Amino acid sequence: MDLGSLLNALILGVSIASIWLIAALGLTIIYGTAGVINMAHGELIMLGAYSSYMLQFYLGVPYLLCLPVSFVIVALVGLALERGLIRYLYKRPLDTLLATYGVSLVLMQGVRLIFGSDPKYLAVPEIFQSNVMLGSVSLSVFRIVVLLVTALLVLALWLLFYKTRFGIQVRAVMQDKEMAASFGINSSRIYMMTFALGAGLAGVAGALFGVLAIVLPTMGASYVVQAFLMVVVGGGSLAGSVVASGVTGELQSVFAFFTNDTLARFIIFVLIVVFLRFRPQGLFAQAGARR
Amino acid sequence: MGNLYHNKLAQWIVYVVFFAALTIIPMTVSDSFLLNQLATYGVYGMLALSISLCWGFGGILNLGQGIAFGLGAYGMAMTMQMQSQTESNPIPPFMLNNSLDHLPLFWQPFQSAALGLLLAVAVPTLFCAAFGGIMFRARVSGPFFAIMTLAMLSAFYTIILDRQPYTGGVNGLTPPSSFQFAGVEVDPYSPTAYWVVLCLLAGATVVAKLITQSSFGLVTQAIRDDSERVRFLGYSVAGYETVIYTISGLIAALAGCCWVMLVQYVSPAQLDVSFSLSMVIWAAIGGRYSLLGSILGAFIIQGAQSYLGDTFLATWLLILGGFFIVVVRFLPNGLASLVEAGLGLFERRRPTSSPAPDGGRPMPAE
Repeated sequence: MDLGSLLNALILGVSIASIWLIAALGLTIIYGTAGVINMAHGELIMLGAYSSYMLQFYLGVPYLLCLPVSFVIVALVGLALERGLIRYLYKRPLDTLLATYGVSLVLMQGVRLIFGSDPKYLAVPEIFQSNVMLGSVSLSVFRIVVLLVTALLVLALWLLFYKTRFGIQVRAVMQDKEMAASFGINSSRIYMMTFALGAGLAGVAGALFGVLAIVLPTMGASYVVQAFLMVVVGGGSLAGSVVASGVTGELQSVFAFFTNDTLARFIIFVLIVVFLRFRPQGLFAQAGARR
Repeated sequence: MGNLYHNKLAQWIVYVVFFAALTIIPMTVSDSFLLNQLATYGVYGMLALSISLCWGFGGILNLGQGIAFGLGAYGMAMTMQMQSQTESNPIPPFMLNNSLDHLPLFWQPFQSAALGLLLAVAVPTLFCAAFGGIMFRARVSGPFFAIMTLAMLSAFYTIILDRQPYTGGVNGLTPPSSFQFAGVEVDPYSPTAYWVVLCLLAGATVVAKLITQSSFGLVTQAIRDDSERVRFLGYSVAGYETVIYTISGLIAALAGCCWVMLVQYVSPAQLDVSFSLSMVIWAAIGGRYSLLGSILGAFIIQGAQSYLGDTFLATWLLILGGFFIVVVRFLPNGLASLVEAGLGLFERRRPTSSPAPDGGRPMPAE
């Protein structure tokens, strides 16, 4: 076995980890704060990709600007979803899972009706299409962009949750909703904002994934299971998802180096099940009471 | 008298009428393709029944019922595939195409139809027992268990897809001839196949109904409503959960066998996440607290998909998704709760002495 290619796999692992993490970020926020199992997360990612496609195709918006605009568009969709449906179901976590699956069917078929089943492509600046050499490793520039965006988002979320008034309110509601409410925090508004935020993050992920893969109405389905696993393994906290994605991304890459991609994925899934057998609360269980 | 809905005798009468109606069908339907299609609905009914038993009466939401179904289906397909292989041609063609020159070890038991059938049912059942045992002992429950089953399902899906020389990969298995057992060939388009499915569906329903009425079933329902209290009362919560999960898996495995017998085909699509979720949709729309309601839910949804699906080809998923959202939001106990409420209205007109004893379909927890 030669060390260079193992190093190659490790660097690729960081890239895989960043993809898994950005898919899981929005879900982490939504699950961690409100305890909602959002099965429509994959479809929110898909909506992000399609809104970028629309922005590019109809308005000619440059790609990098598509990321924040997709965030806003999908966040608005999330807001509508929360106000129209999710807020009635907070006391029934399993029903949020079912209802959001219904939402995912509607979104997927709705997009298919509007845009058709044929794949769409996102155009990126030419510099993103090239490769760079990191030592002996060749990595596409765009994967580095994904990594940077993910890192930026994690940093921004950390600042938001730990350095702002809004963040303190969110964490208070997470720990004890009633107590927070008695201190004058509008928990309903907090849930609404975090759901929209989580949806918006899915939108950004979609705008990135639309370049990594083709844009299809069904593209979301492939991300949702692994995004859930990251959240569950991480325990629903931001740090947990970061570590979980990092470890599984690396493991995936290393296993794939020894076997192949699909088998590596199988091993990861089994390892996660075994891990949760011994630590059902995840890596970093949250302090405080669950609702 | 109380609500007729909770009357045990009335429930059994409804069951008898229901299955009697299903028995008449092959005598009136002469179109063998339609009969085959109706028989596949029976398979979907079994799946919805298994979900209802596990979720409605055990409180375990299982998003990975496709594991038991798929493993059962693959076992059956392997058995049927080996039945069409001869002495001079002992290896299935797809293996030869993948340059495999000998029969893999785990395929060899399937050369015997009886052993193959046994394995097709036993392997998924034992898997459920082991997986459920491990998970429930670790007190993984609720949404977490649902996610875990989803992960396990995806794992099986990937491995079957990946190991093409052994499983047929994305193409799956298409046994060329119909199933033969003890000298009888079960033509999938014959009434015989329909009878087999109907007998299994009726048998599974009766057994499931008896389970929910037994003291075992009452404990699982108590666990569903408040597992901590049951644990404090000294019951082995994990044990009860494992048993009900395993029984549910057994029914799904049988459904898998029937399905391959009917369609002579299996592929990783049967282990797809969306198929397992649609089983949950059937039970949720029909009413997970009612075994019969869940079965009817499967019939209604799949029937609508076949007949409306042609007319509303493009919008079917939109309609289904929207309908599902409405049911979850406004009718969390499914269509069966409408029947319950309807009969309840009827009951209120006359003075009742005491509420009816619980007939295995208690009111929901919340």
